[in-house]
Amino acid sequence: MTLPYFFLDCVPLTRVSPWTRNSVRRLRIAGVALCLPVLLAAAPDSKPAPEPPAQHVKSVPPDQDIAVLGHTVSAPDGKTIGRLIDVLVDATGKPEAAVIDFGGFMGVGARKIAVHWSTLRFAPGDHVHPITLTLTPDQIKAAPEYKSASKPVSVVEPPDADAGSPAITPAIADPVPPAAAVPTIRQ
Amino acid sequence: MPRDGTLPTRSPRALDLLNFFTADVQTGFGPFVAVYLTAHKWTQEDIGFVLTLGTITAIISQLPSGVLVDATRDKRRVAAGGLIGIIAAALLLALWPQELPVALAQVLHGVASCILTPAIAAISLELVGNAALGERLGRNARFASIGNGLTAAVMGVTGSYLSSRAVFWLTAALCVPALLSLSGIGRGSFAASQITAPPLEMRGLRKLFRDKRLLIFAVCVMLFHMSNAAMLPLAGAAVTMRAGEIANLIIAACIVVPQGVVALASPWVGRRAASWGRRPVLILGWAALPARAVLLAVLPGPYLLIGAQAISGVSAAVFGVMLPLLAADFTRGTSHFNLCMGALGLAVAAGAAISTSLGGWVADAAGLHVAFFALGAVGAVGMLLLCVALPETREAPGEPQV
Repeated sequence: MTLPYFFLDCVPLTRVSPWTRNSVRRLRIAGVALCLPVLLAAAPDSKPAPEPPAQHVKSVPPDQDIAVLGHTVSAPDGKTIGRLIDVLVDATGKPEAAVIDFGGFMGVGARKIAVHWSTLRFAPGDHVHPITLTLTPDQIKAAPEYKSASKPVSVVEPPDADAGSPAITPAIADPVPPAAAVPTIRQ
Repeated sequence: MPRDGTLPTRSPRALDLLNFFTADVQTGFGPFVAVYLTAHKWTQEDIGFVLTLGTITAIISQLPSGVLVDATRDKRRVAAGGLIGIIAAALLLALWPQELPVALAQVLHGVASCILTPAIAAISLELVGNAALGERLGRNARFASIGNGLTAAVMGVTGSYLSSRAVFWLTAALCVPALLSLSGIGRGSFAASQITAPPLEMRGLRKLFRDKRLLIFAVCVMLFHMSNAAMLPLAGAAVTMRAGEIANLIIAACIVVPQGVVALASPWVGRRAASWGRRPVLILGWAALPARAVLLAVLPGPYLLIGAQAISGVSAAVFGVMLPLLAADFTRGTSHFNLCMGALGLAVAAGAAISTSLGGWVADAAGLHVAFFALGAVGAVGMLLLCVALPETREAPGEPQV
């Protein structure tokens, strides 16, 4: 950001996003941030007042669910390989694919790929490796990069087609899967 | 020589250390903010927003920061303010990963960086004067790059084995030795009128901005960063495509090895700028850009890319030494050294911002190879412009020291 050349090298490739959504809130934040850099005390979030009790509340013990967004993803051997940063759902709200960010080193070489939901294994009770990606390193390496949800997304399917969701398995019905994963392009 | 009685012999070493630790604390940020916020369940869109906010702050605060540093009498105090700003930003990020604190931290960090760079250059100029500045800047760049290389390694390890939050604590902690080294620097006796502007001084300002050499050099600087900034990210993409599991190690080498080259080459660059003159050294640094781009495009395999990246150490050394040196050349006889640094910083930031978009866009549309060639071509244009349009700016031997 500033003069020395090496920092610029370290700035990740543009993650500039469209400002259309939430732009009013953002401009307000930017305004406050720009005008009051001294106002460090302004930090705490104002908590909304507690809502009136809902009709049906189901209590889920912490070991039965995982908050997946931002969580690290492990390889089958337990090594951390990236983070789950987004979930793509279909019209029924069913998760179709997960976007996984492979961080690179200091932001350089960072790469996102979209993998089919069925390539992930979830173990809510396991606090160290609750999310496991079952693809092999070669399949991950060969996967096309995920750009954004507004473009056609290449979702890496599991090599064994029967594990895929019925909605998109026809696209990969090919019984002889090549060594690497079969990417399908969907609009 | 120092007017306030501090030992002059301690100052050069303290300035070395200041450069070492300041490079550290500046590296600490950018790359880790995205990972850290992702881990705190921020959406990609919101992360993009605060990163953009930081970039925009760094662009719009260049010139005002230059004016501010010009207007202050004691540059050491301004630099201390910048370091404290970085501490505040790091603590804000580490303690409250929520929207407003993070946005504030990004703004604080952007402004603080814009203040620190000219302030350190001004402290150097004040300490050694125009004649010995090349050598001094060579030393600055050497220690900054050692700091950078070590930090990249240490922070990379911290970020992957401890947590991304630890990186911010470490950054804040490293500001303390930076402040201590700053306090060990005595007040120099050179160039006081060049780095300190009386309020509303317009004559020198007009002279500076009518200077065609500044305009030409600023364009060359912009082209340099348009060519340079996207090359490492694209090289990183090339490595991940070819290397698979060990990609991160190779990328780490692609970042750390050039810092070693900078550390070795910078003092040489500083001395040659004094003996050969500025032009040949500048042309060498700018010529390294297309050379590196072509090598990145044609070399096979992931390991050789480290070699191509090492060349970037040459251009980085030239750039790191020559930018403040030329700012000092341009502002002899005016009192706006820091504003000139700010103007050139603006060219850097603009060039880098264009570069990542340009590189990413060409790579998407036409492939990595074409993107490398396109970036190299931009660097070559900058080099040609240097050859054709920029006159030698070194002080003629007989000219009196200002």
